[in-house]
Amino acid sequence: MYRTGEYILLFATSVLLQIFFFNELSLSSCFAPLVYVAFIILLPLNTAPVWVLLSGLVTGVLMDLTMGTAGLNTIATLAAAYMRQPLLNLIFGHNNVREGGVPSESRMGRRHFVYYFVSLTVLHNAVFFAFETFTTAYPWHQLLRFVVSAAASVLFVWALTRLFTSKLSAR
Amino acid sequence: MYRLIEFLRRTYVTILFVILEIVAISFYARSTYYTQARLLSRANTVTGGISTAISDIGKYFSLGRENALLTERVAQLEQELTMYRTVMADSLAIREAAELQYEYIPARIVSNSINRTRNFMTLNRGLRDGVTTDMAVLSPSGEAVGYILACSERYSVALSILNTSFRTGGKIVGDDYSGSIEWDGVNPHKVQMHELSKYADIKVGAEVVTSGFSHYFPAGMLIGTVESFELDRTQTSYDVVIRLAVDITKLYNVVLVKNIGLGEAVQLEEEAEHKIYD
Repeated sequence: MYRTGEYILLFATSVLLQIFFFNELSLSSCFAPLVYVAFIILLPLNTAPVWVLLSGLVTGVLMDLTMGTAGLNTIATLAAAYMRQPLLNLIFGHNNVREGGVPSESRMGRRHFVYYFVSLTVLHNAVFFAFETFTTAYPWHQLLRFVVSAAASVLFVWALTRLFTSKLSAR
Repeated sequence: MYRLIEFLRRTYVTILFVILEIVAISFYARSTYYTQARLLSRANTVTGGISTAISDIGKYFSLGRENALLTERVAQLEQELTMYRTVMADSLAIREAAELQYEYIPARIVSNSINRTRNFMTLNRGLRDGVTTDMAVLSPSGEAVGYILACSERYSVALSILNTSFRTGGKIVGDDYSGSIEWDGVNPHKVQMHELSKYADIKVGAEVVTSGFSHYFPAGMLIGTVESFELDRTQTSYDVVIRLAVDITKLYNVVLVKNIGLGEAVQLEEEAEHKIYD
């Protein structure tokens, strides 16, 4: 498989960071970044959609088991995994995606890569918080919570993507 | 047939996605705070050790503050003990009542979320330490912060007062009317009390304590102080905003309280219920 070792390390890093660092941050009730979606974002461009979906399932179930969220992470991660391919095709072009490589600034260009990872991270956060809250009470607080957490997630996912792709060739 | 196979070949990822999402959503929709606590409790058998190590690092930096609080608490308890010794020397009845009601177990928080709507605490005491479900969780200075939902051998998971499913009875100190304490999921420093009778003697700054009507908490445990209040839509009871007496975000040590008579009380209630409905 393509860069198996690197992807196992990425999976372990993003999941462990989420469980033992980001879940334990008690800064504010509005600050709840979800960074493990970086693993789905960084899967090779030409990974078959069914494998992306199954990777999303495994990641989501693992996060649910460790966070005690009983399906919430799975719902959000499956949605992100399913939407990855249409988003990539829309932003980067079907033919470019088929050529493969690691999603990164050097492979996709800065603008395309930023559009891609920000959209997917925001989508993941939006589904997560919509299902977690599931109420129309305190709409401004819920919106603030989503905006702050999504912004923090984008920042930390960006840092993870930089770390992961800095030593890898574009293809 | 060929068309069907071709259709499935083109759409099987979407079909799989829809099936998996339906399963995940139905599982999540049917889950309760109890399911979530059970999941966390099982996960702690794997992640508990690492969480404890991480918590130790955080605890190291708050030792000074914790020491000051504990010293203050010890002094306060010494003073109370002296008073009780004096009273109990003269009364056999008080001695018997005081000896039997509650058992206390100190514990440390190894994981504590505040940024979800359903927050839980993981504690480093489990079945082997005598922890059981339904035990109250108090701060070292005696404020109510949660109750135990699930236990593994070495760890237990408590429903935090900062969980939208948390419910307990509360009342204003010096008043007999009680209301229902819950959290709205917004501010980790404030909880709400609903259904407090409009005849209750309430004012801003008044202390709110546990009523003792819930199975979990002993009566009179401090919850916080009244920050604001107003009559609800029915104009028959107050909605009260309470500022929590304890900062849950900075809590490292807790005390677990077992109500020794709880099992007997619950059994009696169940028997009474059966008698009514049989």
